[in-house]
Amino acid sequence: MSGSVEIASQVAPSWSVRTVMTRFGIAFALPLLLLLGGVMSPAFLSPGNLSNMLLQFAPLAIVAMGQCMVMIVRGLDLSVASMMATAAVIATGFSGADRDVASIVAMAMVVAMAAGLLNGFLVTKRQVSPFLATLATMILLQGFRFAYTQGAPSGNVPPFLRVLGSGKFHGVPYNALVLLLLAAVLGVVLHRSGFGRRIFIVGGNPVTGRLFGIRSDAVTIACYVISSCLAATAGLILSGYVGLVDNWVGQGYELDSIVACVVGRVSLRGGRGSILGALIGAAIIVILANEVLLLGIPIQAQLIIKGIVIVAAAAVYTRRDGS
Amino acid sequence: MLTLKGISRNFPGVRALSGVNLEVRRGEIHGLLGENGAGKSTLIKIVAGALAPDEGEISFDDRPVSWSSPREAKLAGVHVVYQEFALFPQLSVAENIYLGNERRNALGLVDLRRTRRDASELMKKLGVSLDPRASVASLSVADQQMVEIARAMTHNVRLLILDEPTAVIAGREVALLFDRLRRLRNAGVSVLFISHRLDEIFALCDRVTILKDGRLVGTQDTADVTRERLITMMVGRDLGDLFPPRSAATRTDQPVLRTDTISIGDRVRDVSIELHAGEIVALAGMVGAGRSDLALGLFGAVPISSGTLHIAGKRFAAMSPARAIGLGMGLVTEDRKSQGLAMLLDIAANMTGPALGEVTRHGMIDRERETSIAAREIERYRIACRGPATPVATMSGGNQQKVVIARWARLCRSVLILDEPTRGVDVGAKAEIYRIMRELADSGLAILMISSELTEVLGMADRVIVMREGRITGELPGREATEESIMHLATSERAA
Repeated sequence: MSGSVEIASQVAPSWSVRTVMTRFGIAFALPLLLLLGGVMSPAFLSPGNLSNMLLQFAPLAIVAMGQCMVMIVRGLDLSVASMMATAAVIATGFSGADRDVASIVAMAMVVAMAAGLLNGFLVTKRQVSPFLATLATMILLQGFRFAYTQGAPSGNVPPFLRVLGSGKFHGVPYNALVLLLLAAVLGVVLHRSGFGRRIFIVGGNPVTGRLFGIRSDAVTIACYVISSCLAATAGLILSGYVGLVDNWVGQGYELDSIVACVVGRVSLRGGRGSILGALIGAAIIVILANEVLLLGIPIQAQLIIKGIVIVAAAAVYTRRDGS
Repeated sequence: MLTLKGISRNFPGVRALSGVNLEVRRGEIHGLLGENGAGKSTLIKIVAGALAPDEGEISFDDRPVSWSSPREAKLAGVHVVYQEFALFPQLSVAENIYLGNERRNALGLVDLRRTRRDASELMKKLGVSLDPRASVASLSVADQQMVEIARAMTHNVRLLILDEPTAVIAGREVALLFDRLRRLRNAGVSVLFISHRLDEIFALCDRVTILKDGRLVGTQDTADVTRERLITMMVGRDLGDLFPPRSAATRTDQPVLRTDTISIGDRVRDVSIELHAGEIVALAGMVGAGRSDLALGLFGAVPISSGTLHIAGKRFAAMSPARAIGLGMGLVTEDRKSQGLAMLLDIAANMTGPALGEVTRHGMIDRERETSIAAREIERYRIACRGPATPVATMSGGNQQKVVIARWARLCRSVLILDEPTRGVDVGAKAEIYRIMRELADSGLAILMISSELTEVLGMADRVIVMREGRITGELPGREATEESIMHLATSERAA
């Protein structure tokens, strides 16, 4: 056994240097990374670049928060990127005018709920591994999408979504405000509510959850539904950012969101994690990508750096978590 | 043959061993006796080369040694059989016995035929008859233990260390194990036998060394020491005050819980019992007799296949934990780490877990309320911790168990089921748990206690129900029950 057992959950924190470091150590990486970026390339800290990073941050952060909740209940959601693309395709599936925004959002959410229910049902009632269940849903969504678009999506994203996805208010992107709102709500739900407590109990140990009289299956399914809905939201925002839509909006977000969570100390074994961690993890990934871009480092190097970050996070956390 | 002098070992914040001496002679069975936390496990690990002592000397065969790995100790002839076996369940008996020590043919490939033949011979020496081709997964726990011991013999074992080998087997199997250990002793092997059961020490060991709180209390010949003397050495006080006195007639006439011929798969068959408020009923029997299954079934954690439950006058054909909790029932499970506790959460969350509704308002947890509930229980049950926000994973076994019991003591209104409530807790915590149980019974709960420790059953129970192979084989009044009468019901065939 090594070190103390640390929990990022609903437990009132103690504020010794050690617990602060173990709980929030990763948060110190953030200013460090920003500082380093500024030193390495002057353009990095310019208001324009910072606000652009914020713009790119929101979609990944929104997906990562959903991924975080699924990971806490011992799951994994590989279908998020496919869900994002599906939502983006839905965004262009109507007239392209603002009057259809409500229909677009409603339809995207209905599809997301269906996908989330399917994931959750397969995992809990059929005991399919989360990897396989969400992989199947990912492919299923892909198939429906292709059938619907006939391979070549066309149509326009309504202006409202374009503004939401790429517009800024005094340099602050609108999508960051959406993120802020969602993060506040999810943070309270996960870390302060009875439902959030049940998520941690079930994720820590499903057997204990059952003996506590908690409907573990319902809790788990809810997490998958939340993840899908957040992915759909991120897809709508991203479609507004990109402007035109192809079948692959959001490609790579499934793995990036998992990486963000792992870096943000959400345990793949379940029972541990926080919304704040997912946000910080997503921020680190966005900052790294941006810095690599500014420095003109080739894309290969970017992947190598990402890989190193994952390995480092995994090494540090497994040692601290004593397993 | 093995001599330890002045062995000390510290862990962060804990002095696990201090200045312990131990001498094991050639061809003797030496008992190592002590409560949980006395330092037995640490001592074994040091002898086995898995831990290095901070101070002290070890000599083996009159030569000083300092093993830096279990491998070196094994080469010298020290072999440990831990409680968790290091067997590969999918491999055969013979393959497991010769694992890492394979019989090879001229080509350097594993010679399976020779492996099986040698394994058979080896087992014959031990007095074991197992099919060398059988997969280890198909064996009983007792037989798996024999495979472990046989494996030790292939390494030319000189000192065999057994860490509480009887914790996982029962009755006849224990007798067989002892018989085989005596054979080994007669063949010149020394055995270090760890246990906290006195009967076994007397039945098997030539000498016994007693540890308490990491210190050596003494080494005695079992032939000239009494049971009482050993208890006093082990516990540091008399056991007389371990069990609280039974109280006079608090039992009610109407049963709180009644089962009508319930069966659970083929593990519990046609069980009809009654529990009354104010009494402690012990459910005795061997491991695997279906007692834990019955407990899980009463609480709704496993489905009942047939029969009905009557709780507080209502009839149920099916139960669920949520419903059981709603009826004021509680279940302290056998394995707190994998079942009873949310190990990643703190004491407060574990106190309120099964009744979250009580501390949620508009869906939000009232953390202040929860913390004050936990603080009150911590004080009432004298739980050693840093406060309500202490993660339960950082606590000792006894205090973890107190958290579980305190939780149910608070939430329970009708029936509290405790499955091996004192397993793995030290004697101080034990006394405390017994006191709490009696208090709860006196306050009007019906208590069903599953226990494999007969002293505990005899000391606590108002009534003893005995199970064997899924069926009730008898019932005894607590005051009249004896170890013999219980064991008879638990093991022998029922008279036709």
